[in-house]
Amino acid sequence: MRQKLFAALASIGIALGMGALILLLEGRQPFEVYGALVALSLGDADKLAVTLKNAVPLVLTGLSASLAFASGPVNLGQPGQFLMGALAATLVGLSIDLPAPLMAPLLMGAALAGGALWAGVAALLRHAFNMSEFIVTLMLNSIADLFTAWLITIGGPLAEAGALSPRSPAIASGGRLGDIGAFNISIVVMALAAGAIGYVFHRTRPGYEWRMAGQNTLFARLGGCPVNRNFFIVMLLSGALAGLAGGLLVMAGPYRFIRGIGANYAWDGVMIAVVANSALGATVGYGLFFAALQTGALGMELLTAVPSEFIQVLQAVIVLVSVAGRGYLSALLDRLALRRLTRPSLDTRADTARR
Amino acid sequence: MRIAIGLLNGMLAGATPVLLAALGGAFTFYAGVFNIAMEGMLLVGAFCAALGSFFSGSWVVGVVCAIAGALGLSLLFILFAIVLKTDEFVTGIALNLFAAGATTYLLRQLFGVRGAFTDAGIQAIPRVDIPIVAQAPLVGEVFSGQNLIVYVAALAVLGCAWLIFRTPFGLRLRAAGYNAPSLESSGVRPAHVRVAALLLCGVLCGLGGAFLSLGYVRLFAEGMSAGRGWIALAAVILVNGNPWGIALITLLFGLADGMGLFAQGVGVPAQFTGMAPYIATLIALFVYARRKQGQRVGQA
Amino acid sequence: MSDFIALRHITKTFPPNVIALDDVSVSFETGEIHAVVGENGAGKSTLMKVLYGLLRADRGEIALHGRPVQFSSANDAIAAGIGMVHQEILLIPEYTVWQNVVLGAEPRTRWGALDSRRAREAVRAKIAAFGFNLDPDAPVGQISIAARQKVEILKLLYRDVSVLILDEPTAVLTPLEVPQLFEELRRLRAGGKTILFISHHLDEVLELSDRVTVLRRGRKVDTVAAGSTSKAELARMMVGRDVLFAGRPAVHAPGEVVFRAEGVSARDDKHISRLREVTLEVRAGEIVGIAGVEGNGQFELVNVIIGLIQPAAGALSVNGHDLTHASILERRRHIAFVAQDRSRMGASLSASIAENAIMTHHRLNETFARRRWRLDMQQAAAFATRVREQFAVAMSRPDQPFRALSGGNQQKVILGRELLLDRPFLLLDQPTRGLDVGSTEYVREQMLRQRDAGRAILLISSDLEELFSLADRIAVMHRGEIVADIPTAHTSLEQVGYWMLQGREPAPA
Repeated sequence: MRQKLFAALASIGIALGMGALILLLEGRQPFEVYGALVALSLGDADKLAVTLKNAVPLVLTGLSASLAFASGPVNLGQPGQFLMGALAATLVGLSIDLPAPLMAPLLMGAALAGGALWAGVAALLRHAFNMSEFIVTLMLNSIADLFTAWLITIGGPLAEAGALSPRSPAIASGGRLGDIGAFNISIVVMALAAGAIGYVFHRTRPGYEWRMAGQNTLFARLGGCPVNRNFFIVMLLSGALAGLAGGLLVMAGPYRFIRGIGANYAWDGVMIAVVANSALGATVGYGLFFAALQTGALGMELLTAVPSEFIQVLQAVIVLVSVAGRGYLSALLDRLALRRLTRPSLDTRADTARR
Repeated sequence: MRIAIGLLNGMLAGATPVLLAALGGAFTFYAGVFNIAMEGMLLVGAFCAALGSFFSGSWVVGVVCAIAGALGLSLLFILFAIVLKTDEFVTGIALNLFAAGATTYLLRQLFGVRGAFTDAGIQAIPRVDIPIVAQAPLVGEVFSGQNLIVYVAALAVLGCAWLIFRTPFGLRLRAAGYNAPSLESSGVRPAHVRVAALLLCGVLCGLGGAFLSLGYVRLFAEGMSAGRGWIALAAVILVNGNPWGIALITLLFGLADGMGLFAQGVGVPAQFTGMAPYIATLIALFVYARRKQGQRVGQA
Repeated sequence: MSDFIALRHITKTFPPNVIALDDVSVSFETGEIHAVVGENGAGKSTLMKVLYGLLRADRGEIALHGRPVQFSSANDAIAAGIGMVHQEILLIPEYTVWQNVVLGAEPRTRWGALDSRRAREAVRAKIAAFGFNLDPDAPVGQISIAARQKVEILKLLYRDVSVLILDEPTAVLTPLEVPQLFEELRRLRAGGKTILFISHHLDEVLELSDRVTVLRRGRKVDTVAAGSTSKAELARMMVGRDVLFAGRPAVHAPGEVVFRAEGVSARDDKHISRLREVTLEVRAGEIVGIAGVEGNGQFELVNVIIGLIQPAAGALSVNGHDLTHASILERRRHIAFVAQDRSRMGASLSASIAENAIMTHHRLNETFARRRWRLDMQQAAAFATRVREQFAVAMSRPDQPFRALSGGNQQKVILGRELLLDRPFLLLDQPTRGLDVGSTEYVREQMLRQRDAGRAILLISSDLEELFSLADRIAVMHRGEIVADIPTAHTSLEQVGYWMLQGREPAPA
């Protein structure tokens, strides 16, 4: 555990160092830039609140990807499931008007269902025809993107009359999530969802079976786990999480479906899962970290004139460094362990060299 | 007849970048590398092509830059997946993210724009008229006057097929995928074969990327690879890497693309016609899965 | 005769915790057959891989004709005239014999293409020169194991090596194929080749070799002339104590039929029949051994019984419960199963020991199945501790990763898990493969105890000696059929070997 934390911090440190190098090459002051980044994401309670609100879609799509990867299914469909969740919440929010205590859970349910449905298409194709969910989810991303774009395109069936940019009308007020102090309610929902998924994954029988199947499907299958059914359930759950991310984004922010609503989160979920090595706790941590980077980026551009796109490069470098560092570090630890072992107590070594 | 010719031209234009990327993917497929970085390689290729062409005013420099850029991504893949032995899937995902981030950033940093960059100074790759053929009616309109890269792609199919099936390199390449320890015990390092496959993949994806930004348009747009690298990956998997199969199947994708353009002409919304290649991929996957399932009667 | 190859003070370690070779020095002479013997894990294969350049020694040097050499790859070794045939045959089934032989040293045309005509001719010439009976155009996937081994040797002869290293070449052969291999090896020696022969079958070693080097736990014990030693002496050197060569006769009467397979057939992906009307019974208190050359349907039989393959015809039952089409979970109510491949089928290496220990129990064992959702990880840890105590597993904590255990301890956890399921029928697929001597003995003892406790055991093993020392009956599989089913006391190694190879009784002499 401590080793992993150390490795993560070291990777981030190295990546930030490389980012600083890029900044220096462009004649900027790295400390000034990073300082602005921190000040504008974590500087005070208001900025922290914005960072946390921005973390909601990142953490949830990250959990969606981590849950899937750690349990076996290669669900790369977060972008599409996110859009379908956002769409479902918008559709229900446009057609029903209830008081907030009923409306908000209803829209969240719709978002969960929308994401699960879109993932369910891939799960079903895999189940019935053995079509690889890996490529199917990717194709469904593009299809969802184009489909939702058509719905809200000017003159499209879901477009707001008279709007100048592609967007839907606003959802009923009961479905809009307010703030508690400075903090948006969607943050609470994210925390609850993360806690629930963590509990199911680590403390229940289905979670145990998912984990074992994710590590070695054949082992789980021979042990009597219903791996096909579990695959299906995990796909639905993973899609639901991504869908919830989309729904919460609509409910907390613009209150409507606008063009490019998911663009910023398209691959972020998969990216976070990859950096976190599909561990749920680390996924939440990296989700918050990347949210801070992205939130600080806009302010950084204002204060230091470094384009906010710099953060995209920085994120990619963090991914590359930590992914490579993982392999290197474990080899290094193995070698250190060996050195400790080579001297005394040679009795156990016989068992051995068959490689 | 005009429609048919338009459709065929649309097909070739749609197929070319996917074909080139898929041929690159074929090398890594045979070498036993799970390479999903074609998407990023295409994107970097397209960006570098526009960059090179803009600053030099020469499409040749553009194409060279595209190849160099995609090769850069290949080298990163080699560094992570082969030297540092990072998981190939994770490496591919990370490199695709890197490609998207870096091109977006550089677009802003170098050209000061968001979204797309276009400029009269970008020189496009020329079309080539083939003597004699150009004079032939109908045939000339399809087989002559195409973009240079289209012909390069056609030749690449021949070249790849020869390399994979008729040369010692091909024998070793396929051996690396079938059974790497066997190749190793024959005195050939599988890692070397994989490095070669990844470099070839970089070159081909670079060409495909150059076609995207300098072929029929003269611009670079964020995310302009638009899933073509993934479709190329699907094509490779569907035909088990065979270059002839790849040519056939990418032409089918191109046809779907071309029909989409045609349907747009008769009033179908552009968003729906844009779905054509993705839906075609799903259908192809379905057919493939059914065929495989048919072979597996009597099994769980 | 001078030392042709000398290995001096070779030491090799594997991260994280294995010292495979410890200061080993040995020399080989031109034109000799030199056996390297030792138990599993003694370091024989590692030593040969170091010589061959597949592994790099941490310390020590290799001298060829008195000059120190350092092979950094198999290529270097082959260029210096040293070639190795691995224990697991390393050929490409999709390629033909000639393609496999020339791979890595291909003749080229002027255009740089593969000159397949010249390649085929060269291979044909080598086959003729050494009197091998092989078709250069046959796909390797369709020829016998013995023929594949010849292709491996041919691959080296094509490269004109003068030293052949053979890693347990007889392990994959039936008793009847062994004399033919030995004849070919002697012919090669007569042709001036040096042969290094790794084995743990002492009879073979004494029959074939000129000199014998014994390794034990990564150290060299001695090198002796084959003519001046005995089986007992070699065995003592290998194990470090006196060893008794004795089977364990079964003295008991088996009970009711527990497991029954009736007319079971199965096909593979390509509709090729892999199991043909297999009928088999295992009674309570009985061990039935399945013998057969690998790839003759044992794999399919196991998979049909455990439920990974649906049979095309026939029926399976345990204690009268029809399991022919049951789910795997349903089968596991009646069957305890130890799979052949620990890391692929029997465990998750990255999960903890406790997580591995509770598999299947998590659904079928009272302790865990009582609650519908929650899985108590403290109970799981307690259960793992129980496995440790009952099955003598050397581990520190149940939350250690499974991969940190040695192979023998991993197998003990798996065996313990399955035995604690307390099922009437045990399906054991190569349960001692790859284990050290101590663990092997332990697993075999457990099998006999389970038998004596009245369990029905089906044991699949490629080690005929193991079958003869444990099984009450032996069933021989050949091309998907059971061609013989006979009490162990009424048959012999030679007879079973003949069945394995020919699928029928030896003709009366």
